[in-house]
Amino acid sequence: MPELFMRMMKEEWRLHSTMFGQISFALFPVMIFGIVFMGSFLLPLMHSALPLGNITLITHAMFLVLGIMVGGFGLLGNEMMNRRFGQASFLAYSARSLPLSERFIFANFVIKDTVYYFFLWVLPFGAGYIAAAPFTETPLQRAFLLLLTLSLSFMAGLCTVFLLSSLYVRSKLALVLLGAAVGAGFFAIFLATGINPALYFPPYLLYHSFSLPGLIASCAVLAGLFIISVILFSPEQTGRTATHKDLFLPVQKRLAGLPNPPLVAKDFVDLHRSGIGIGQTLFSFVAPLIVIWFFLSLVRSYLPPHGLLFLFAMISGVIASTIYTWVTEFDNFSHYSCLPVAVSTLIGSKMTTFAILQVIPAVFISLAAAFSGEAALILPAVVLCISFSFYAAGVMAFLCGLSPSVLVYDVKVLFTYLVLDGLVFAVFSALAFANPWYALASLLLFIPALLMVKAAKRRWDTVDPTGF
Amino acid sequence: MSPVLEVADLSKAYGDVTAVDHVSLSVDEGALFGLLGPNGSGKTTMIKVLTGQIRPTGGSARVLGLDVEREGLKVRERVGIIPEQESPPSFLTAMEYLEFVGAVRKLQDIGEKAEYWFDLLEFGDKKHVLCKDLSRGTRQKLMFAQAFIHEPVLALIDEPLINFDPVMQDVVKGYLSEYVRKGKTIFLSTHILEVAEEICSSFAILHSGKLLHAGPVADLTARGTHLPEFFLSLVRKDHHA
Ligand SMILES: Nc1ncnc2c1ncn2[C@@H]1O[C@H](COP(=O)(O)OP(=O)(O)OP(=O)(O)O)[C@@H](O)[C@H]1O
Ligand SMILES: [Mg+2]
Repeated sequence: MPELFMRMMKEEWRLHSTMFGQISFALFPVMIFGIVFMGSFLLPLMHSALPLGNITLITHAMFLVLGIMVGGFGLLGNEMMNRRFGQASFLAYSARSLPLSERFIFANFVIKDTVYYFFLWVLPFGAGYIAAAPFTETPLQRAFLLLLTLSLSFMAGLCTVFLLSSLYVRSKLALVLLGAAVGAGFFAIFLATGINPALYFPPYLLYHSFSLPGLIASCAVLAGLFIISVILFSPEQTGRTATHKDLFLPVQKRLAGLPNPPLVAKDFVDLHRSGIGIGQTLFSFVAPLIVIWFFLSLVRSYLPPHGLLFLFAMISGVIASTIYTWVTEFDNFSHYSCLPVAVSTLIGSKMTTFAILQVIPAVFISLAAAFSGEAALILPAVVLCISFSFYAAGVMAFLCGLSPSVLVYDVKVLFTYLVLDGLVFAVFSALAFANPWYALASLLLFIPALLMVKAAKRRWDTVDPTGF
Repeated sequence: MSPVLEVADLSKAYGDVTAVDHVSLSVDEGALFGLLGPNGSGKTTMIKVLTGQIRPTGGSARVLGLDVEREGLKVRERVGIIPEQESPPSFLTAMEYLEFVGAVRKLQDIGEKAEYWFDLLEFGDKKHVLCKDLSRGTRQKLMFAQAFIHEPVLALIDEPLINFDPVMQDVVKGYLSEYVRKGKTIFLSTHILEVAEEICSSFAILHSGKLLHAGPVADLTARGTHLPEFFLSLVRKDHHA
C-alpha cells in the first residue's frame, strides 16, 4: 500500500510541477495561505455585513464543493488523462499489470487524491487562519477546530463523489433513485422543521458545538462512504467489441453552419459515447451548484431582493466557464497533430463546442429561477450567467490555451484569472443587485470574450503544444 | 530531380536534451528514404519538426518548398503523416475516423476511399468498432490509411511496420515501393534494417541526434556490406568515440 500510494503522490506532483515549474507550483499553497492569512484580518469588516455563523457556513460549503469538484476531476479527469496520454502512462492504469486488485488500486487512488489535495488546498487554508489567530483575537482552539471541520467538509465532498461515481458506473437507475431519496429526505426535513437542511451539515454543526462523539460519528460516516464506494467500484468493462452506428457524418451535417464542423462533431460524438458529457454535467456542474444553492439560500436575507438568483447566476457562470476545461481535456492534441489543424483552429472549435454546451447552464438557471418563483427574471439571469461564462472562458483560453485545468495551479496565471474575473464579477453583481434588468448589460462581456479568444489563437499558435 | 525535403543545420532541443543536433540532409523526389538510428536518436523528433508539429531550435528545413517553421500547417495539408504512437480518437469507429480525416482534409468521396483501405489492409470487419477496442495492429492499419488516403506527394511515416504481422508487412512494403514508383516520395523511420535495405533507395543514420551517414543504399553493395552490419559497426564505433 505505502509503495503504490507514494508513487501515485509523486506522479501527481510531477504532473503538476513539470507543467509549469516546481517553484511556481509550490507557490500555490503558499498563495492560498497568504490570501487566507490576510483575509482573516478582514473578518471583522465582513461581520458587519454578514453574521459570523454565515461566514463559517459558507466556508464549509466552499470546501464541500471543492471536495466534490476535486473528486469529479480526479475520476473523470483520470479517464481523460488516460485518453490524452495513451493507455499506460498513468499509474492508476499501468499498475494493472502488477499483481494488485483493481479495488486496491482504486482505494489508493482515492486516498492519494484526498491527501494530495488536502496539502494543496485545505491545509494552507486552515494554516492561514491559524497563523492569523493571535492577531485577530481568535481563540487558537477555534482556529484548529476550523481546520478540522473544513477537512471533514472537503472529505465529505470527495467521498460523496466517489460513491456517486461508483454507483454511476454500476447502475444509473440506482444513482437516480438515491438522488431522489436524498432530495426527498431534505425536503421532508424542510417541511417538518422549516429549517434549511444545509444547516444540519455535520462538519458545520461540529464547528459550532464540538463533541467527541460527534467527531467520531462524522469520521465513521466518511469511512463508511469510502468503503462502500470501494466495494461498489467496478473496473471499466473491456473486451466488449460492440459495433456502433455511424454518428459522425449525421452530427457533422447538423453542425454545417458552424465553424469547423468536423472538429466540433468529433467532440460531440466523443462526449456522447464516452459518457463524459453526462458524467461531467452531473459531477462538475449540477452537483456543486445544488450544494451552493442550498448554502446560498441561507444568506438570502442579507442579499437585496432577487439577489440570491443573480448571485447564483454569476456563480453558475463561473462554473459553466469550466466547461471549457472539460472540452479541452478529454482529447489529446496528438489526435490532430498529423492533420492540418493548427492550435488556433482547435481553440476555435473547442470554443464552438463550449458555446453549444452552454445550453446546460442556460436550462439550469431557467429551472432555478422558475422553481424559486422568479420566472419573470429568467431572461436577465440566464444572460448574466452565460455572458459571464463566455467571458471567463475567454480569459482561460487566453491564459492557458488548450490546457486550462493544469495551468490553474500556476500562481501567476491563477492570479491574473482571479483578478480579471473578480473585477467583472463585482461590477455585474453590483449592477444586478441594483436592478435585475441591468444584468442584461452583461451582454457587453461578449466583446472582451471574443477579443481574448482572438488573442489566445495568436498567442498559442506560436508555442509547441503541450505533451510534445 | 529536385529535392522535396531539405534540412540545413537543423537542431531541436527539449530543455537541455538535444534531440536533433545540427543535421543537414536532403531527399529527392521519388525517393524512398529511410531514417535509421538507435532508440532515442532523434528520428521521431526529426519527423515532428519536418511536419511543423514542433518548432526547431536551430537551423531550418523546407518541405515541398515550404518553410516548416512558418508554414507548418500548409506542410501538413500536403503531406501524409503516421505518428509514432498509433492514437486514433478512442470513441470514434474506424470508419468515422476516416470520415473525420476526410472532412478535415476536405476530400470528396471519402466513403469510397475508405473502402479501398479497408480492403487493402483487410480490416473491413472492424469498420464500425470503436478505435479504443481495436487491436494495436488494426489501429496501426487505420493510421496507415489516414496518412495515405489523400494520396500525398510526400509521406513521413514513423515506424509504420512494427505492429504488423508478416503478411501485412509484405502488403505494406509492396504498397510503399509501388507508391514511389508513381513519382511520390516516402520518408520512413524504422528499426527493421532488412526492410530498409530491401525497399529504400537511400538512407541516413542518426545517433544521439547527430547525422552519422547519409547516402544511397546501392553504395553499400559497392562497399561489399549490408545495411545491418554497416549500421551496427557505425553506431558502435560512434558509441566508443
Ligand atoms: N517531449 C519531449 N520532451 C523532452 N525530451 C524529449 C521529448 N521527446 C523526445 N525527447 C528526447 O529526445 C531524444 C530523441 O527522442 P526521439 O523520440 O526523437 O527518438 P527516436 O529516435 O524516435 O527513438 P525511438 O527509436 O525509441 O522511437 C530522446 O533523448 C528523448 O528522451
Ligand atoms: Mg521514435
